[in-house]
Amino acid sequence: MGLLNTLLGRTKPVQANLDSLFGLPSAAITLQSAAGMTTSGRAGVCYKPPTGQGFEDMQAEVMKLLTMDGEGKLRTAEDRYGYHWVVVENPDIESLVTQVHLVNSSLSDAGWGPQLLCSVFGVATLPDSAASTADSPPGPTTVLTSTGFLVYLFKRGTFYPFVPDGPEHRNTEQELKLKSLVAGDLAIEADLDRWFPLWELPVG
Amino acid sequence: MSTASNIPSDRGLNLRMFTTGLMLVILYGAVVGLLIAFGISYVAVLVIAGIILFCQYWFSDKIALFGMGGRVVTAEQAPQLHGVIDRLCALADMKKPRVAIADSDVPNAFATGRSPNSAVVCATTGLMRRLDEAELEAVLAHELSHVAHRDVAVMTIASFLGVVAGLITRIMFWTGMMGGFGGSNDSNNNNNGNDNAALVEMAVLVVSVVVYAISFLLTRALSRYRELAADRSGALLTGQPSALASALVKVTGEMSRIPTRDLRAAESFNAFYFTPAIATKGVSLSTILSTHPTLEKRLDQLAKIEAELGRPV
Repeated sequence: MGLLNTLLGRTKPVQANLDSLFGLPSAAITLQSAAGMTTSGRAGVCYKPPTGQGFEDMQAEVMKLLTMDGEGKLRTAEDRYGYHWVVVENPDIESLVTQVHLVNSSLSDAGWGPQLLCSVFGVATLPDSAASTADSPPGPTTVLTSTGFLVYLFKRGTFYPFVPDGPEHRNTEQELKLKSLVAGDLAIEADLDRWFPLWELPVG
Repeated sequence: MSTASNIPSDRGLNLRMFTTGLMLVILYGAVVGLLIAFGISYVAVLVIAGIILFCQYWFSDKIALFGMGGRVVTAEQAPQLHGVIDRLCALADMKKPRVAIADSDVPNAFATGRSPNSAVVCATTGLMRRLDEAELEAVLAHELSHVAHRDVAVMTIASFLGVVAGLITRIMFWTGMMGGFGGSNDSNNNNNGNDNAALVEMAVLVVSVVVYAISFLLTRALSRYRELAADRSGALLTGQPSALASALVKVTGEMSRIPTRDLRAAESFNAFYFTPAIATKGVSLSTILSTHPTLEKRLDQLAKIEAELGRPV
């Protein structure tokens, strides 16, 4: 099929892989126990909105469905590359992942799976971890100095860490630490070329 | 259910491309058959043409970048361009090509490289200056589609025969000029063998001219179909056919207003360009000779995709 596609000059739109998302809750537990980190309770789904009424209708329907769900806060954003974000806030990681999955699967079921770019989950150092390390030496060292993110690539079914520290600058060292922490729970993207930066994340 | 089922693949385009390819293959077979019939002295020509084209193919990225004065840029040097390409590659699940910028005011972009692994996508500064973000993204998606379709490899193989026929024509012409074609009016006594040899040479010359002409037309047709295919894949990738359409209109409008010097310098790379940079005055050459489909055809196709995307699900 690959050869035929080359000869005819066509590409099949790549479908999104949604299942690996459910490794996140166990990764969150690992992060908490091994490094005193927690998920920030915020996640975002990023997709490229195609033109046309069909997509707009579907988008409105998904938003309605999520609001009816009642749990957590919800907002949308658009970034400077023309991609749309649905940002979900929910302190409980399990329901956060479920909500993100709902957005993903609604888009995918409506036939727009190829438009999904990535999902992003915030990771932060627990506010009280500094205090707790004080009375329990040699407690876990702080890995993150700022909010980090775990980015899920839909087309690959893999995660990569992204830790921005300052405008258009990423902290590679902290990213690699974060990666080694969650490598047991999540499939990590092996091709480093695909760890692209996501500046000005609306997930914050 | 997927976008693939929302938007049927363009059967007409597939069929036309397949037919063109088939005709090239048939022509290829006929030429190889003739070469064998004439004797194997032309194997050398095949080998030479093969080496030339292989070099062109293998070093296509370096040749094109050098020719256009493009330089590869890092993510720090061109964060916006890299950001757009990063996202498009993640959407299409393809390896990120190298990114280059050419300092030229001709608004254009090209993709080159022998395989997706060594591909380079290059945009000119003129292009980035004129297009807005959505349009630039659409053009880059078109170029990434060329990479995904392996168009450099396909077009190199397709043009092989034309290069062979061109070489044979030239060699025959030179030897004919030096040796004299007929030879029958020489003061020496003619013999049948000499006559026959001249006839064979004439026949080879005629055949290779014809083969050259046909393969030229066929590769041009193939190139136009590949352009349409890249337009289509690119538009589906971004989901915004109208952005590509407006980029095309902007760029083709600007192209003819640029001084001819720049345009002529760019002509040899037309096959991998976004829009051709041929400085035609008024009405262009007959469309059959062109590497790119007419603007109308491209816009028509994009309008069709737009309508398919807009259909309520």
